[in-house]
Amino acid sequence: MSENLTAAVILLGIIHSGIRLATPYLYAALGETIAQRSGVLNLGVDGIMLMGAFSSFYVVFKTENPWLGLLAAIVVGMGMGLLMSVVSITFQAEQGISGIGLYMFGLGLSSLLFKTMLGTVEGVQGFSELRFCLTDSFCLADVPVVGKVLFSHSLLTYGAFALVPILLWVLNKTTWGLKIRAAGQNPEAADSLGVSVAAVRYASVTFGSMLAGVAGASLSISLLNIFQENMTNGMGFIAVALVYFGSWSPLGVLVGALLFSSVNALQLWVQVLDLNIPSDVAVMLPYLLTIIALALPFRRAAQPAALTKPFSRGEN
Amino acid sequence: MQKRLLLLALLIALVALVAACGGGAEPTSAPEAKAAEPTQPATQAPAAEPTKAEAKAPTTEKIRVAIVLPSTVTDMAWSQAIYDALVRLQAKRGGPEAMEIAYTENMWNVTDAAAAIRDYASEGYDLVIAHGTQYGTSLFEIAPDFPDTSFAWGTATDTGEEQGLTNIFAYEARAEEGGFVNGVLAAHMSKSNVLGVVGPVEAGDAKLYIDGFEAGARYAKPDIQVNISYTGSFGDTALAAEAANTHIQAGADVLTGSAQQVVGAIGVAKEKGVLWLGTQSDQSPLAPEIVVASQLYDWEGVLADMLAKREAGQNGGAAYALTLANGGLYMDYRDGLSEEAVAAGKEVEKQIVAGELDVMAIIGGEQVTPPAPKTETGMEYPEIAPIRIAVVLPSTISDLAWSQSIFDSLKALQEHYGEDVIEIAYTENMWNVTDAAAAIRDYAAEGYNLVIAHGAQYGTSLFELAPDFPDTSFAWGTTTNTGAEEGVTNVFAYEPRADQGGYVLGVIAAHLTQSRIVGLVGPVDAGDAKLHVDGFVAGVHAVDPDIQVNVSFTGSFGDTALAAEAANTHIQAGADVLAGSAQQVAGAIGVAKEKGVPWLGIQADQTPLAPDVVMATALYDWRPALLKMITDHQAGKLGGEVLQLTLANGGQKMIYHENLPEDVIQAAEAAVQGIIDGSIVIEPEPR
Repeated sequence: MSENLTAAVILLGIIHSGIRLATPYLYAALGETIAQRSGVLNLGVDGIMLMGAFSSFYVVFKTENPWLGLLAAIVVGMGMGLLMSVVSITFQAEQGISGIGLYMFGLGLSSLLFKTMLGTVEGVQGFSELRFCLTDSFCLADVPVVGKVLFSHSLLTYGAFALVPILLWVLNKTTWGLKIRAAGQNPEAADSLGVSVAAVRYASVTFGSMLAGVAGASLSISLLNIFQENMTNGMGFIAVALVYFGSWSPLGVLVGALLFSSVNALQLWVQVLDLNIPSDVAVMLPYLLTIIALALPFRRAAQPAALTKPFSRGEN
Repeated sequence: MQKRLLLLALLIALVALVAACGGGAEPTSAPEAKAAEPTQPATQAPAAEPTKAEAKAPTTEKIRVAIVLPSTVTDMAWSQAIYDALVRLQAKRGGPEAMEIAYTENMWNVTDAAAAIRDYASEGYDLVIAHGTQYGTSLFEIAPDFPDTSFAWGTATDTGEEQGLTNIFAYEARAEEGGFVNGVLAAHMSKSNVLGVVGPVEAGDAKLYIDGFEAGARYAKPDIQVNISYTGSFGDTALAAEAANTHIQAGADVLTGSAQQVVGAIGVAKEKGVLWLGTQSDQSPLAPEIVVASQLYDWEGVLADMLAKREAGQNGGAAYALTLANGGLYMDYRDGLSEEAVAAGKEVEKQIVAGELDVMAIIGGEQVTPPAPKTETGMEYPEIAPIRIAVVLPSTISDLAWSQSIFDSLKALQEHYGEDVIEIAYTENMWNVTDAAAAIRDYAAEGYNLVIAHGAQYGTSLFELAPDFPDTSFAWGTTTNTGAEEGVTNVFAYEPRADQGGYVLGVIAAHLTQSRIVGLVGPVDAGDAKLHVDGFVAGVHAVDPDIQVNVSFTGSFGDTALAAEAANTHIQAGADVLAGSAQQVAGAIGVAKEKGVPWLGIQADQTPLAPDVVMATALYDWRPALLKMITDHQAGKLGGEVLQLTLANGGQKMIYHENLPEDVIQAAEAAVQGIIDGSIVIEPEPR
């Protein structure tokens, strides 16, 4: 490797990549956290991401307005969430299976729409990287060392990180958060106190799916600015795993997402630096880390007690 | 698709209608009364076919002409030119009373066209015109059955005399003559000194025109750059538009092109205010302000002569050519041209007419030093019987990579042979091998003749199920294992030698890099991706062993986001040229585009995604390998063959971007030649 590549450059490169790569995982996993805290396991995240990715891409492709694209992803994500809610809450279908169904629906529909409405892979101009210019000549992005790492991401990336404290506050400090936690931990008790468990779960799943839609949009109109069939490549499932990893806490999810994407960035550098580690091993690193983290025994304790359990009044 | 089906349905209805009419109210035009008035409707049914032979209709008799067209009578090109001529001839001969015209449009399917030709002949039309080279084979089969009917076809010079046929006329347009004049005009009108040609398929009339155009442009200005692109289709309007866009981006300020597809290109030219030179039919109504000159075909004289010959008792045997000298071709100069250009154009036109300027000789002279080979090279298409082909794909047919490359080739074959000769079924996204095995078994059970499992991961399943379907041919790759050792005989193996294309790309990369660091975004270190990396690294180091090639694998074929991140990482590590393979690279190309870093692609053409940064592509062309499997299968050899896609056998082709410097292209072409003639042996380096 060239001498001019100091350890600092590599380290900063990894952090920069890690932050950017964490964006879709963060949105999807944070949304899933809310859904699971209310007691619903939504395995359809990947399908919702694909639909969000396609709809936002298509709208930007047609209107050249990224905000309209984001709106489309939000609307489509909420629609998919309502669908999941109807099936898993109203009809009390097995959550794991209905989630997989939703995933396949999203995968198939996004491919079909892509084929009929676009046909080929196209590019758009989505959300561009911000530079935080305070004056005409001075931009935070130009600050040595940290500038590029922290101040040259797109708006959607900052949005994802901003969500972490917001959701942390909502979950732990507000009545809404209490209701969500109650619905997932002890729905009978919540019900007995006059909380509509179904309504809370509907809202949580729909909100979570909306974030999954935005996660898709962050891929198609911010990070990559293209749409390709099955472009999430299973990111939604990684996001579900990150919720377990993060012990159902937004903060834990943040740590997990950053760790996962930083290790992914690291493994790329490992290959580029030609450290004589087989690429297969490098590629394995992030997953290896996930497995180790998931295997740690204390994590299970935080799981919402009523997760995957449908609730119906009076039967229990 | 739906539109085509609708069209097809309409056509079937039309043919049925024509057949019904012919059988009933209006019989053949061979009444006994020779001196009938032209206005007299010929309603008496002739007793029998043979009587018609003697009863040649004289000029005063109503003559019936039918024509089968590959596109529509409003295509502003090939079909419209001859249809308009027929209508003019009809008016001269006394209107529909004296001359009947029947036509069938959109006969892109040769078998359908053959049915239509036969129908018209059996309904007693006097002259049946098959207006396309592709109809020749069918025509020669049909013509002997109707010795009293005259047939005509073109672009052709073969009247079937050698086969003993006497009732066929052949015609061609010497499109290179007007093409030459258009080339001269273009050279005089161009300010950027770059011309763009939107060609359909490098054959027949289109090839003549484009050869002439290029020669004319060079004749007027030897240093002018003529960029030629072929869309590979006559009717792909969207692609033609895209081709026009590409030419404009590459600096062209005068465009031309042929076939009905050009409607799309003219639209783009109009929007961008770029001049257009037309051929075949008058395209100026579409964009009067930019269509400044046209070579127009006038078939009227040829058609009139065919009818006159028939009326004199000669049913065929003559070959015609439209030339500037005989008036079959004429130049239409319009207002937008400069006086100087018109003068130069008229001068060469005069010389061609007078025989002082031999366009063909100039073209021949030019071809002694051919320019860098373009994407479209001569493909040989053997005769094949109808075949049903199914393909199981690990990703999608629009993945811009592995799956798309084979599907595009299958589609191209289907376009050539017609949908009733080659049936294609496919299943996408079969990343799950068990699902894929089920799909493969289903296709075999449904009676598909050739089932392709397009991934090395499907091999084990394939060898298990192939013996259950001994009459079906299977194929898989990337591999060289046909299962012969396990006693399997009906499996083909295929392997794109990606190391060859990779080597050439490596040579290009080594020439392009300034930082002397090149980045490669690989999927998984196996199969054709591994070959690609091996070849690429060898190619770079063949130019300069000190250039650093950073190779990274994402561990997945479809992880677009990670591939993008890998590209970012390479750029941060100093790479200023990137390459990569598999469908994931869409993400990496996005990054390359954003950062303005040159990209070198492989498998499918990724140019549409980022026309400015995709500098070269090693394109997989599966057609030769697929044709080999098809012909082997139909000859009774169901498998056991290993087929490689190499530069030598046309299985891989290099596409170069217009902006790629000439010396780099030359270095790349030298590498291609070296690989083909064996002087370059690619040795993978230990990684």
